[in-house]
Amino acid sequence: MDETQRQALEAYSRGQMTALELRRRLGDIGYGDVLRLLSEADLPLPRAPVAGREEAIARARAWMFPKHAA
Amino acid sequence: MPHDLKIFVVDTGPLITLAVAQSLDYLLYVDADVIVPDAVLHEATFDAGRLGAQDIIAWVKAHRSRIEIAPTRAYQVFDAARASIPNLREPDLGERAAVEVIEEPERLRDDERGLLLCEETALLKRVVVRDRSRIVEVSTLDFLRILEAEQRIQSAEQVFELAEKAGRFPSRAEKMPMHDAVTRAAIQDLVKRREE
Repeated sequence: MDETQRQALEAYSRGQMTALELRRRLGDIGYGDVLRLLSEADLPLPRAPVAGREEAIARARAWMFPKHAA
Repeated sequence: MPHDLKIFVVDTGPLITLAVAQSLDYLLYVDADVIVPDAVLHEATFDAGRLGAQDIIAWVKAHRSRIEIAPTRAYQVFDAARASIPNLREPDLGERAAVEVIEEPERLRDDERGLLLCEETALLKRVVVRDRSRIVEVSTLDFLRILEAEQRIQSAEQVFELAEKAGRFPSRAEKMPMHDAVTRAAIQDLVKRREE
């Protein structure tokens, strides 16, 4: 992996690049390869921020578990 | 019996992440039908040596009554083309198939609702959704956090930590291309059984 690809992997890990874009930049690799490269580089999976998506997540929860929805 | 909620697994990320964390069954912790477009299953499993591939195939086979492998025109055309070009790759095949499935007019009837499970939050923007109030998009981690909040699982983060460590087990990442034909036949069998 060259420096440009390494930077792309780090950007993905920080949530600044989508998995699809990363996969294209790394030569159309699969998502499993993304997981493997992250592990090898000791980088975490990106965590999608909840801020701004609270309503969608609450709606999903109510649909998934309607009896427990507030 | 069909459920009012349909979980559409619209890219390979959720399947692979959950498979390598040995947590695919979490998708069944919700009272819902699970729908996987055929091309998404293909992308996740076409090389049996890839991370999670064998676990995903085994899981789908074990839960055929709960999981629908949705046939798509995109995969049908791709599979036909592979007869003459065996190493054909179409990086956006799964994405196109997912869009095709979501846009099928008969997919959500009456009061049915759809939950799109994906790693990419951009997919919904490319879909012509008839009624966005009936479809919501969540990431794998969102899905796991909801299960955690409902005390169905112990820890969403633990699943991600297991997935992050997955690539450190070389035996699971070892290439076994000779299994490709077997995997392909398994997918075709799963799709065929659904169509019958």
